[in-house]
Amino acid sequence: MKFAIALFAPPHAPSSRRALRFAQAALAGGHQIVRLFFYQDAVHNASSNVVSAQDELDTPAEWRELVHQQQLDGVVCIAAALRRGILNEQEAQRYGRSAGNLEAPWELSGLGQLHEAAQTADRLICFGGP
Amino acid sequence: MAKSLLIISRQSPWSGPSAREALDIALAGGAFDLPLGLLFLDDGVLQLAPAQQPAAVQQKDLAANLQALPLFGVESLYASARSLQERGLEPRALTLAVEVLDDAALIALIDRYDQVITL
Amino acid sequence: MATLHVLSHSPFTDSRLSSCLRLLGPADGLLLCGDAVYALQPGSAQCQALDLMPDGIGLFALDEDLGARALTAPARIQVVDYPGFVELSCRFDKVNSWL
Repeated sequence: MKFAIALFAPPHAPSSRRALRFAQAALAGGHQIVRLFFYQDAVHNASSNVVSAQDELDTPAEWRELVHQQQLDGVVCIAAALRRGILNEQEAQRYGRSAGNLEAPWELSGLGQLHEAAQTADRLICFGGP
Repeated sequence: MAKSLLIISRQSPWSGPSAREALDIALAGGAFDLPLGLLFLDDGVLQLAPAQQPAAVQQKDLAANLQALPLFGVESLYASARSLQERGLEPRALTLAVEVLDDAALIALIDRYDQVITL
Repeated sequence: MATLHVLSHSPFTDSRLSSCLRLLGPADGLLLCGDAVYALQPGSAQCQALDLMPDGIGLFALDEDLGARALTAPARIQVVDYPGFVELSCRFDKVNSWL
């Protein structure tokens, strides 16, 4: 089955970890993930500036690894990201900010990508809140 | 055939960007001509309350975006009768033309759509 | 088209569970995860309400969240792990997460 997974919560929210474990279980079960879409506070999951204590779960790092390893399509909503200070190099330059904090494998794009993923997938699964 | 999507908006307009960002999902989908519905549930119905003054809290007017929904092709607009009643809102006084549905009709509504996002 | 509703907020501080229970269709399912598993707190009104749900409605809880909170699911609730969660989202026609 083809899943589109949309995440709405920041890295420290339990639902971010839940989405991650769901994605891993879906892939392990032979399913396909057509796209990960990060919206609202979930854009922080794509930040390369999150520093987790050594004995704490590093959710952004786990997401990055999963997207790299499985070559997933990881899209971060650009409007939600800019509003929350998540910028790639290009946007940082455009808005005169000192540095970007969003790198590959993440891509900034619009909400149309959420709709496209939902259209392509058999199931749209959203994670957010606590 | 395109999959239909029901967006259920449950947040008050002034509780943060959630209400606006739910609306943005609807507007973006409308721009792609997708079959979309938008349901105002729980505190979400407060988005439809008349005479709100967003400037008092230095916010943009959500009502303007709500009015844009039909222009973007999002014409299936609903509100929960129970949520309106609980909050003392008169269906006639709402700022947007919505179909007011009781719980049984809401169950049938959710059932009809291929996908749902509740924000 | 049967819906799997997913809740993760505590029912003691939040209205999502009560809203969701009013909008459950006859063949829908409900998966409790995160703080929503507190609805299974023994002796709570929420737990009683769930126990009285019609048989046609599937009730599920995520095992890790029960374990973390030292909660045991009543017989009426099916406990699932992540592969089980994935399976449920395939079994139902759509998933409605109450974010």
